[in-house]
Amino acid sequence: VIWRQAIIIGTFVLAAVLIEVTLLSRLGIPGATPDLVVVTVVAIALTMGPVQGAVSGFVAGVLLDLAPPGDTLIGVNALVYVGIGFVAGVAVDPRDRTIPVMMGMVGLSTGAAVLLIAGLDTMLGSDRVDWEQIPVLTLTSALYGVILAPLVILAMRAVVRKATPEVAVGV
Amino acid sequence: MFSRRTRILLGVLVVASLTFVILDLRGGEGPFASVRNAGSNVLGGLERVAATVFSPITGAGSWWSTMRDQAGQIQTLTRENELLRGQLQTLETDRSRAAALDGLLRVAGVGQYRFVPAEVIAIGPAQDFSWTISIDAGRNDGIEPDMSVINGAGLVGRVLKTTADTSTVVLVVDQGSSVGGRIAGTGEIGIVSGTGRQDELEFELLDPLADVRVGDALVTFGSKGGRPYAPGLPIGEVVEVRGTGGQLTRIARVRPYADMSRISVVGVVTKPPRIDPRDSVLPASEGIDVIPSPAPLGGDVEGDVTVPDVALPDATVAPEEETAAVPVEEPVP
Repeated sequence: VIWRQAIIIGTFVLAAVLIEVTLLSRLGIPGATPDLVVVTVVAIALTMGPVQGAVSGFVAGVLLDLAPPGDTLIGVNALVYVGIGFVAGVAVDPRDRTIPVMMGMVGLSTGAAVLLIAGLDTMLGSDRVDWEQIPVLTLTSALYGVILAPLVILAMRAVVRKATPEVAVGV
Repeated sequence: MFSRRTRILLGVLVVASLTFVILDLRGGEGPFASVRNAGSNVLGGLERVAATVFSPITGAGSWWSTMRDQAGQIQTLTRENELLRGQLQTLETDRSRAAALDGLLRVAGVGQYRFVPAEVIAIGPAQDFSWTISIDAGRNDGIEPDMSVINGAGLVGRVLKTTADTSTVVLVVDQGSSVGGRIAGTGEIGIVSGTGRQDELEFELLDPLADVRVGDALVTFGSKGGRPYAPGLPIGEVVEVRGTGGQLTRIARVRPYADMSRISVVGVVTKPPRIDPRDSVLPASEGIDVIPSPAPLGGDVEGDVTVPDVALPDATVAPEEETAAVPVEEPVP
C-alpha cells in the first residue's frame, strides 16, 4: 500500500508542479497564479491522510523550489507545504468531507500558503516580498484554489479508490 | 495525540526543510549545490517536454486564427482588415510612446535634468486610496528614494522606495504628497498638496495677499540637493482661486499638467540641473514668458554662425548694416 501511495503522490505532485510553472503561470491570469500544487497537496491530505499530506507537501515544495524559474530559498516552500498538508489532513473530520467543505479547506490553504511563504521569506531577509500585493494575491489565490479544488479532489479520489481501496478515507 | 511514527515523520520533514533553507542561505559550492543543479536540470528537461505538450493551449490564439482562415474569402478580408486596424492601433501606441519619450526629452533637455526613463508596470489598486505606481527601473538603474519622477507634461511624483529592478512612485495627487510650488512669473510660493483625486491639486499660498489668477502656471520650488523635488519642474495650472484677501491663506485649485490616469513612460530625475531652470520648462502653449534656456540658445547660435558663412558672398553688406543699426538704436532711451 505504501508503495502504491508513494507512486500516486509522486506522479500527482510532479504533474502539478509542471503544470503550474509551464501552463498556469503563462496564461496571464490576473492576480496570483492558480496554486495547483497546494490544491494537490491538500487533495492528497484529504483523501489519504495527514501523514501523506505532509510527505507530499515536502516533495512538492522541494520540486517547486528546484524547478528552474524559481530561485527562492530551497526549503521555504517545503516547510510551508508540510504544515499545510498535515493541518489539512487533521483539520477536516473524515466524516464531513463533502465537496463544499473540502473546497473551503483548499481555499484557506492556498490563501494561507501565500501569507506564510511571504512571511517566511521576509523573516529570512528577502526584500522581494511586496506586501502591498499580498492581500490581492492571497484572495485571488484562495479563489483560484476553490475553483480548482473539485477537479483535483475528484480525480484524486477516483485514483485513490481504485489503487488503494483498503485505506481510502473520506466519502 | 498522534502516533509515534507520525510525529517522527513530521519532525524529519520539518528538519529536512530547515536544513535546506540553512544550506541554501549559506550558499557557495558543494555537494548541496551540485545536487540542486542536477535536480534543476532534470526538472528543466521535464518542463520543456511539458511546455511542448501544452503548446496547443498556450498557443491557442494562433490555432483559432488558422481555423478562421479557412472560412472563405470574406472572412479572410475581414481578418486582414482587423489586422490592419490592429496594426494601426499598435502604430498609434508606438507613436504615443514615442511622443511621451519626446516630451520627456524636451523637459529634460530644456531644464538640463539628467533622468532615467522607465515604463509604468503596475498601478496600485484603487481600493487602498493611495496613488502609487510601480516602474520598471530600480536600484540597479541608479534610482534612489526621493528622486523626482516626471513625464513629458510635467511632475508626476517622487520615488518612495526601490527594489533592485522596480521602484514605487507616489504621485503628486496622493493625499499624503506635498510639494513646494512657485507661480511662474510672479514667483509667489506655497505648498501644493494632493487631494486624492487624479485631476486636482491644492495650492496654498504663503502670502495671503498674493496675486493669483486662473491660468497661472506652477513649477516646483525645489529642495536641497534636488530631493525630493528638483527645481523648475512644471506642476500644473491654476483653474480656480478660492478664499478672498481677508482670509489667512489663499487656496487655489490646480490641474496637474501630467494626466495621472494615463501615465505610461516616465523619467526619474537622477540629477537636477546645476542652475535652477526657473520657468523655462513650462509648456510653450501657456501664456507665460518662456525664458530660453542655455541649451537651445547654444544650438541657435551655432546655426547662425554657419548660415552667414554660406551666404557671405551674396550678403556681406546687409548684415553689417543691420548690426550697425543696433548700437544706434540703443542710446535713444
